[in-house]
Amino acid sequence: MKLPRPLYVILPLLMASYLLVVFALADYMKNKPFLEKLGYIPSVNTMKVLAADHKQFLSSSLMLKVIMYYGGLVDKGSNSLLVPADYPAMSRTIDAALKLDPYNIDCYYFAQAILPWDVGRADLANRFLEYGMTYRTWDWSLPFYAGFNYAYFMKDYANAARLYRRAAELSGNDMFMNLAGRYMQRSGKTEMAIAYLDLMARSARQSALRKSLGIRRDAFLAVLTIEKARDAYQQKNGKLPGSVDDLVQAGLLHGVPHDPYGGTFYLRNDGSVNSTSGFSFEGGKK
Amino acid sequence: MVNIVAINLLAIIRDRVFHGILVVALLFLLIPSISSLSMRQVTELSITLSLSLLSFILLLLSISLGATSLWKDIERRYTYSVLSLPLDRGTFLVGKFVSVTLFLLLATFVMGAVACAMIWLSSGIYPSERPIVWWNLVACIGADVLKYTVLVAYAFLFSTLSTSFFLPIFGTISVFLAGNATQQAYDYVHSQAAKTLPALVKNAASFLYYLLPNFSAFDLKVNAIYGIPLTAKALYLPVLYFCIYTSLLIIAATAIFSRSEMK
Repeated sequence: MKLPRPLYVILPLLMASYLLVVFALADYMKNKPFLEKLGYIPSVNTMKVLAADHKQFLSSSLMLKVIMYYGGLVDKGSNSLLVPADYPAMSRTIDAALKLDPYNIDCYYFAQAILPWDVGRADLANRFLEYGMTYRTWDWSLPFYAGFNYAYFMKDYANAARLYRRAAELSGNDMFMNLAGRYMQRSGKTEMAIAYLDLMARSARQSALRKSLGIRRDAFLAVLTIEKARDAYQQKNGKLPGSVDDLVQAGLLHGVPHDPYGGTFYLRNDGSVNSTSGFSFEGGKK
Repeated sequence: MVNIVAINLLAIIRDRVFHGILVVALLFLLIPSISSLSMRQVTELSITLSLSLLSFILLLLSISLGATSLWKDIERRYTYSVLSLPLDRGTFLVGKFVSVTLFLLLATFVMGAVACAMIWLSSGIYPSERPIVWWNLVACIGADVLKYTVLVAYAFLFSTLSTSFFLPIFGTISVFLAGNATQQAYDYVHSQAAKTLPALVKNAASFLYYLLPNFSAFDLKVNAIYGIPLTAKALYLPVLYFCIYTSLLIIAATAIFSRSEMK
């Protein structure tokens, strides 16, 4: 086929222009503000209708978008962020992805990895996680993450205990059982923690686990003894005791109870009982 | 009837549109590498991608074969020579419908096998915490075939209503979108959020809900991807619904086709 003569001029010109434009376009796209890249997504209800039977696919692609966006920000060498990430846009995208597919574990995992640590929004991460628990009813990792957030970031030990107990029930992992017991004690529910640990120790099939749960139960029994003496002291004197020794001197304790973890019991300012061991053998060695 | 089915099936396999769609099916090979981008659910992502791609290809096939099958024959004037044979129009239409359905089934079987192989490969890269429930996967793919057969039946109905190209194609696409949204619209209209809506709108929504196909009933993707147990009701009700709904559509299409005048 013979080309018409003008095309011999036009075609190379077009090719050269194309090369010029395509590299400029690639450069523009690369440096496009992140907010524009990630920022706008249609409303969830619109997406639900348009996605037809591809909701899970759309959810996964939104999540991949967030992962790639975040991955692009992280300097691989130092593993630190080069530019501040657009966290609200990321949260919005994760929220949309979860509305489309509430079973998508990548969303929960990513929310947990970023929101409490980098954004200081453990509450938001927990809102996602608690939402996920109603769907992923078999998954111990969600209550485990949420329990950790409650205990570590929010100091809400009652909720931490509740979630660790759920993680323990779902996974049968002894670590969660022990943590659940510990947080129940710190939430002021020592008797509940003792009953819980007692039950767990009796149903534990491994002897090592049974022993570990038994030690924790013994420690909490000692705590309970001190708590009862403290309450009696307060009733009698109208004020909290200053230390555990005050209770011994008042004749309410026969001696300072022994902490099986090797620590020494003391009273916090609010009257709650703690030990220098923090109820772990590592703490007792310090 | 058997002859019509066999001839049409061969014609579909020789069709260029089908070859184009086969090229799209090559995307299945990319699934394991794309799935490995997931942080915690590589296997689940591979199932999601496989099912979505399969469903998308079936949609393309349903529209291209269902909506153009009758129209093409009329356009090329094949219909006249065929209908001059001692053969009633109803048999001709049902034969064509059965051949398209059989082809969908055949294509699903081949692509389903490829999809399963890709899922198996992906699960080797990063084993899932949840075991893959292969039976759920098969049920989900089977439900997809039923859904697209209903869509093909709609395409045939539209083809009998109009000999032009537009109504069958765009009508089928509209039914697909509407059929996937009816359940959501119905749930919304009967929720607390829509309390203030006028009764007329609510009744109209309910009427459309019962009239239009409910494709959400055939969506078993969550069960297949996350291994969530399937109840017997989730299986036999859609199958019954499919049998009755498709029969009605085909009877209507046959009735219209038998009475229509061919120029």
